[in-house]
Amino acid sequence: MPIKAPHAHLFDSVKLEVAKAKLGHLGRKSLYAPLNLVAYIDMMTMLVIFLLMSFSATGEILFVQKNIVLPNAQNWADLERAPVIGVSRDVVTLDGSQVATADELMKDSSTGDFKITELHDKLVTLKNNYKLLHPGEDFNGIAIIQSDKGVEFKVLKKIMYSAAVAGYQNVNFAVVPKTKGAPGAP
Amino acid sequence: MSVSVDTGGKGGKKSVNADLNLVPYIDLLTCMVAFLLITAVWSQLARLEAHQKGQGQAGEDTPPEKQFKLVVVVNDEGFNVVADQDQQPLPKKGTEYDYEKLGTELKKLKDAHPDKTDIQIASEDQIKFEILVKTMDTALTARFPDLSLIDAGGAGI
Repeated sequence: MPIKAPHAHLFDSVKLEVAKAKLGHLGRKSLYAPLNLVAYIDMMTMLVIFLLMSFSATGEILFVQKNIVLPNAQNWADLERAPVIGVSRDVVTLDGSQVATADELMKDSSTGDFKITELHDKLVTLKNNYKLLHPGEDFNGIAIIQSDKGVEFKVLKKIMYSAAVAGYQNVNFAVVPKTKGAPGAP
Repeated sequence: MSVSVDTGGKGGKKSVNADLNLVPYIDLLTCMVAFLLITAVWSQLARLEAHQKGQGQAGEDTPPEKQFKLVVVVNDEGFNVVADQDQQPLPKKGTEYDYEKLGTELKKLKDAHPDKTDIQIASEDQIKFEILVKTMDTALTARFPDLSLIDAGGAGI
């Protein structure tokens, strides 16, 4: 078999008809298929617009606890950063850590003192920490009570009293905002 | 990844077909979607403001005894609107509290005393939090923004 110098194009020496036809585009449709991106870009644009509309610069201040059902309110204000006192039917928490149980709070105090010692002490610590970290600012005394809608005022007043004694005079209640004129509006 | 714009160039001239490079745009959109999804806040919560100060306390020039006192007492029978010496009981409608009537009464009082902004909600121990929130919401709707939530025993009524 004689030795031949390699051709410039291997194409001419290949005998495969199908490959030849494909590589040479001999009357066949091109292998390059344009990818239609219009629908993809439309979808992405809509998604960005929706997410921008629901964007909140303050971030997530309150996490909804699964055992707390919040009441609705029409007249509401935006949340602020403050200690969060969670009040469910079973337990009272401050920033996620338990400070009292509902059973304890439902009992009538023999001394008539409403103060919840653990809650009070932790709130005082938080207040002192705030004053240390923000020396030039006035302490606003805001605490957020995130209470279940079935909790009785008997429990709430002890919490409010403890907060007031600790220096948190402005108590805000977490609610689910409701637009005016919605069904069930007062 | 491109979109061609065909303006019909022909006749030996240079083609005016242009390819729009969409890669940076898609990159930007993808980054924005990722960022917004990570920082998205799905639970929309708000707050209802209340104070624990009584009427005529710090920061008010008018002596307490000269102030017009407005208290809404919430008890098992319904509401009792106390405006100075006058009391207006608003009993329940069946098992439900009559928030509509309470709103009407408070609006009348607001019209009679337009400068009055503070109101006390005095609750009994067994009242549920949801009822208190609705009562406070009704008072806010009647344009009494300075709410105080107090114990009915301490309201002095």
